[in-house]
Amino acid sequence: MRAYAEFAVKKFRNQTAYRMDCFMGILKTIFSFIVYFSIYKALYGGRSDVDGITLNMVVTNFIISLGLSNAFDFNEMFLPDKISWGEISNELLKPVSFRLRLLSEHIGESIFKLVFNFVPSLIFAAFTIGMMPPSSAINMLLMAISAVMGYLILWELSFIVQTWSFWLFSVWGIIVMKNVLVNIMTGAMIPLWFMPSMLRGIISFTPFESVYFTPVRLYLGQISGSEIAVCMINQAVWIVVLFVIGDIFWKKGTKKLVVQGG
Amino acid sequence: MIEVKNISKVYKIAKKGKHGIFSREYEHRRAVDDISFSINEGEIVGFIGPNGAGKSTTIKMLSGILHPDIGSICVNGYIPYKQRKKYVANIGVVFGQKSQLNWDLPLIESFELIRYIYKIPKKKYEKNLAKFIDLLDMREFINQPVRQLSLGQKMRGDIVAALLHSPKIVFFDEPTIGLDVVAKEKIREFIKYLNRTENITMIFTTHDMQDIEKVCDRLIIIDKGHKIYDGTVSEIKRKYAARKIIEAEMADDSAADLAKFGNNVKITDISEHGKICKRFEFDSERCPVNEVMGSIFSQYDVNDISIKEPEIDGIIRDIYEGELQL
Repeated sequence: MRAYAEFAVKKFRNQTAYRMDCFMGILKTIFSFIVYFSIYKALYGGRSDVDGITLNMVVTNFIISLGLSNAFDFNEMFLPDKISWGEISNELLKPVSFRLRLLSEHIGESIFKLVFNFVPSLIFAAFTIGMMPPSSAINMLLMAISAVMGYLILWELSFIVQTWSFWLFSVWGIIVMKNVLVNIMTGAMIPLWFMPSMLRGIISFTPFESVYFTPVRLYLGQISGSEIAVCMINQAVWIVVLFVIGDIFWKKGTKKLVVQGG
Repeated sequence: MIEVKNISKVYKIAKKGKHGIFSREYEHRRAVDDISFSINEGEIVGFIGPNGAGKSTTIKMLSGILHPDIGSICVNGYIPYKQRKKYVANIGVVFGQKSQLNWDLPLIESFELIRYIYKIPKKKYEKNLAKFIDLLDMREFINQPVRQLSLGQKMRGDIVAALLHSPKIVFFDEPTIGLDVVAKEKIREFIKYLNRTENITMIFTTHDMQDIEKVCDRLIIIDKGHKIYDGTVSEIKRKYAARKIIEAEMADDSAADLAKFGNNVKITDISEHGKICKRFEFDSERCPVNEVMGSIFSQYDVNDISIKEPEIDGIIRDIYEGELQL
């Protein structure tokens, strides 16, 4: 266990080596906030709400989901590159689980970006664009827990796609496609409130909804009572399901590697 | 310690230009074909062969990251490809071409990570590290990020990284590739020293014959998937010491007749820079040196002459090119 904690700590410290990158990352997040804010402000055209959704709610949605998605952004070509360069065999020579190691490193990286990207941009946004405060301290806490689960879902989705490189020469295109899906279906670009009901119905059967939208709704206090439990159990179930799928691909992939020789 | 019995490995390669969208034709290439050997504790064995001979495939099978199709491997009581996770905690592997160090972190932090990965007790870790730093002269760059290190420094780092957990068996896959003479020498001395003091079993692949001559007691040569030699380095030299090479510089290019030796003396023209030179290669057991020399002096107008002992490089080259049969 100690080894995995060390992986996360080392990766966290790794990030401090690239200060300019960190600074540019904050700028990128702030710019995207400003662009989205301008677009939605123009779309609202001075109206107080659209279908009961105020501009303020929309702004809060994209600040949380875009902010988190920038913080959770990691190098998705890591495993594909290791596989295509044959370095994956080095990793199999270590008495640790490569999968858990990868997760630990990404957690280390994401914690760094939460502290040095998400938090500063959030503070900037709160004072300039203005976002809604959490509906209560408990809601804030629930949002945080739910965001961690959302992160795990996002990571598992990415891991599954990355393992396909055991069979495919290039998975870059698939990763890009997956990310487009993630951006649309998680509500990071267009809040899911505005989705046609049929599409919304489809999305509710996918893991995407619980990545950012569940945390946002918890933050805004849109979910109450037993519904909170349902939403969070839904997230937990997706984590388990995706973990099992990822495990199957990983085991089949490594088996192919050791039996056939990458 | 290491027992390898009749292992074979076949790679399935898609034929180029011969596949449709749904079907493909495959070509089966035998990378390793029925190789057997055993290695005792404390031996250093050199593994050589031309590119594509099956060296790396064999090393991969020995280190547990590749299954043999046929045959069995037993290393230190483990079956590497079946008990991979338990097995890899007991071995060390150095790939000359692939670093396992963390690019952005100081060398020392990569080592610390390894301490946790292998669960090395603090005392043992500190003792080993201090010893290696001393032996490999690493004090001045131990705190530098790996990306700033030279190739030789990085290689020393990689070797230490593979040895910190005191493995009983270490595989070196081209550990001296791309290094200068001094760096190579330092690594060779270190490897020999460790073998002597800690009785670590080592398998060593390389293309540098100096590595083999200076480090290994025993040599296994493979070519096209087959084992073609397994024995000591000195034996192979003795076996071919009878091969002599005489190079002579002539005053003029007169044709001469060494017909009495028939095909036993091979003459090649090696003239260059306007100098007329010839190389005579022969087996001194069949054609005594003094007779060949005598004929050369009587038939040619010789300006300069030298006799060359066969070097291991030349012997190996002849074996690869199929001129020498073992």
